[in-house]
Amino acid sequence: MRGEALFGYLMILPALVIVMLFTAGPIVASIGLSFYQWDVISPPSFAGLSNYEQLLSDQTVLHSFWVTLGLAVSIVVLEILVGLGLALLVQQRRSNVARGTFRTIFYLPLLASASSVAIVMGYMFDQKFGVINYYLGLLGIPNIPWLTSDFGATATIVIIAVWQQVGFAFVLFIAALSSVPKDVLEAAQIDGAGPLRTFFAVKLPMISPTVLFISVVGMIGAMQLFDQPYVMTKGGPGYTTTTTVLLIYQTAFQNLQFGYGSAISVMLLVVLIGLTALQFLGARKLVFYQ
Amino acid sequence: MRLVSGSGGLSRRTLLKAGSAAAGMGALGALGGLARPALASSVAATITFAYFGDPKQATSMRESLLPLVKKVDQNADLKVVGYNGTDWNDFFAKILTQIAAGAPPDIVGVATEGVQLMAGKDLAVPLDDYVKRDMAELKEMFADVDPILIEGLMYDGHLFELPVNFNAGNMFYSTKLFKQAGLDRPADNWTMDDFQSYAKKIAAIPDVNAFDWIVRLWGSWTCFMYANGGNLLEEQRFDGGQWLWDAAYPGNASVKSRKGGWKWGAPTANSAPTVEALQLMIDLRKQGLAPSPDVGGGGTLQGLFASNRIGMTIGGGFWAGGLHNAGMTPDSFDVQYFPKWKEQKHLFGVVGNAILKSSKNQDLAWEVVKQLSAADAFDLQFPGNATTPVRRSLMTPERYKTTGPEHWSVFYDTLTKFENTTPIPAPPYYNALANALNRRTTEAIASGDAKSALDGLQKDLEAASKT
Repeated sequence: MRGEALFGYLMILPALVIVMLFTAGPIVASIGLSFYQWDVISPPSFAGLSNYEQLLSDQTVLHSFWVTLGLAVSIVVLEILVGLGLALLVQQRRSNVARGTFRTIFYLPLLASASSVAIVMGYMFDQKFGVINYYLGLLGIPNIPWLTSDFGATATIVIIAVWQQVGFAFVLFIAALSSVPKDVLEAAQIDGAGPLRTFFAVKLPMISPTVLFISVVGMIGAMQLFDQPYVMTKGGPGYTTTTTVLLIYQTAFQNLQFGYGSAISVMLLVVLIGLTALQFLGARKLVFYQ
Repeated sequence: MRLVSGSGGLSRRTLLKAGSAAAGMGALGALGGLARPALASSVAATITFAYFGDPKQATSMRESLLPLVKKVDQNADLKVVGYNGTDWNDFFAKILTQIAAGAPPDIVGVATEGVQLMAGKDLAVPLDDYVKRDMAELKEMFADVDPILIEGLMYDGHLFELPVNFNAGNMFYSTKLFKQAGLDRPADNWTMDDFQSYAKKIAAIPDVNAFDWIVRLWGSWTCFMYANGGNLLEEQRFDGGQWLWDAAYPGNASVKSRKGGWKWGAPTANSAPTVEALQLMIDLRKQGLAPSPDVGGGGTLQGLFASNRIGMTIGGGFWAGGLHNAGMTPDSFDVQYFPKWKEQKHLFGVVGNAILKSSKNQDLAWEVVKQLSAADAFDLQFPGNATTPVRRSLMTPERYKTTGPEHWSVFYDTLTKFENTTPIPAPPYYNALANALNRRTTEAIASGDAKSALDGLQKDLEAASKT
């Protein structure tokens, strides 16, 4: 038995080393660095809690958290609604070929790199020469400043993030809907439940663990939104689309305040843990486990 | 390994090189430029040269520049690394990360945007001792380069780079659209009223933006700010620099006003002329004379201009090559000075090569830096008028024959014709300034309130200047 346990530990050792080196290590280093002032070039100097004191009164940082939270909630809610809607529509297709084709189409954007997508979308949404405004123009709609107005920039980033990420929710919902027991659905039908009633009273509760999973994973991902605002809006107009991770990048790598940037990243970690805990707390009442 | 130390001490290799150089002085005249006889070092060294641009060009640039390195040391090798980005702040972020990672380049091509960042952070080697030692050799270069460009590469009385190229903010216009709008070339001393009158006439052409611009420090609404007598920071000069002016420009009256480099003082981002300049940009948009600007380097703007969808825009000499590559014929566009508002004040940025303090081959790097500033090295680095040479001797009709514009002399004359031409305000905290400027400019355009946005910028700059 002891030899078996040793073998088990040996098997997980490589993974453990990698996690310690590339995940736990940087996290611990960031936490440590958040108590220092460091511009990369000079030796770091101990700063105590001053980075955290500065952070709590820094309106730019606090604003970035609200911006990120707003974007993340919009993205996750839309991802769930659109992903579920598409999954329901595709599941109704009787043809296997049609189902397979739609699955591929909706999942494909997820495989593209977020930066590449942001570059292409930046051109498409450009106010002056973008194809989006071109087609809207054909309908008599004047040019919309997608990337240079507060609402336009926010909406564009949400649309693009949802477009790219919805495939993930879609695939999970397809799997969850397929696993709803047929006998339960038939029982609902016999009891006279229509499609809407069947969905809200039977399917939705049955797939609620998947909804929870998507919302938790989606929220963690969306709270770290970087590529789209970095490429398309640079966080603007003003600070409208300055997400926390973008601010961390600019604070640390461009303004050379690595200690302060680390403090913001630690704060983000705390917020993420809090948000995830809240979601699990809510799940106790809302999620149905068979 | 350093030939010239901070205290000015000379190594054995220095003396050997100096001796060899002296022996070969007779041949220097024939070689021209900043050539030196090739030496063979006992240890093969590799000089890493980092530039801001397309990384794909690194290989061809290395092939072009390697002979220059071999000229100074037959055993030396050259590694060229390109870093791209939207603007200079992206480039500097990457260079600083390389330094932090312990893999710094030896030589970095740095524009005005980063001169004080590099010098202020004590990353670059002051070239004073090298320049003093090789002054006889360098006089030819200094005589060919306007002193305003040299001063733009100084910080606190020290010279940190040898110049290679520059760009001043001029007004490019489409001759085709001007003709369509019934407009002639504007006068050299045209005014802001003339500019707006021109813009209104061009705006009458369907699907054309009379004027367009981008959000950045160089060549943005900052040109209007300069013309209106404003700036983001107080304009001051460092004392010192006399050691250079006396030796490099003896008897040149124009260096009397030159000092030890530009010193950027307290933020003045919400001063009346600055607010008025940004408000004009908002008003141009409201009047339909300019669209909402993009943030970044200007590639898109160049594409739109080349497809005759923009009547006028701000550009420098680098636009000549860019527009030519985009398919414009030499006569389809032209350039004029920036219009006069309260004054006809232009901005410019100059690019040179700096040696990083972390370099283990500073002496060799210096020899390479000199080679990179030689007249015959310019087109090896920037083929096809990709920028404006700092050397007057390279500004010839022949150079602009293929690319245009017809009035190419405007590029260099911007430096010499106007006494108030000033570099962009790029203090040691340039990266923070650039980020804040971009943010607050887009905020102003979106909200339509220049004063409020620039009040925010003022606070941002006050905070950044303290870090």
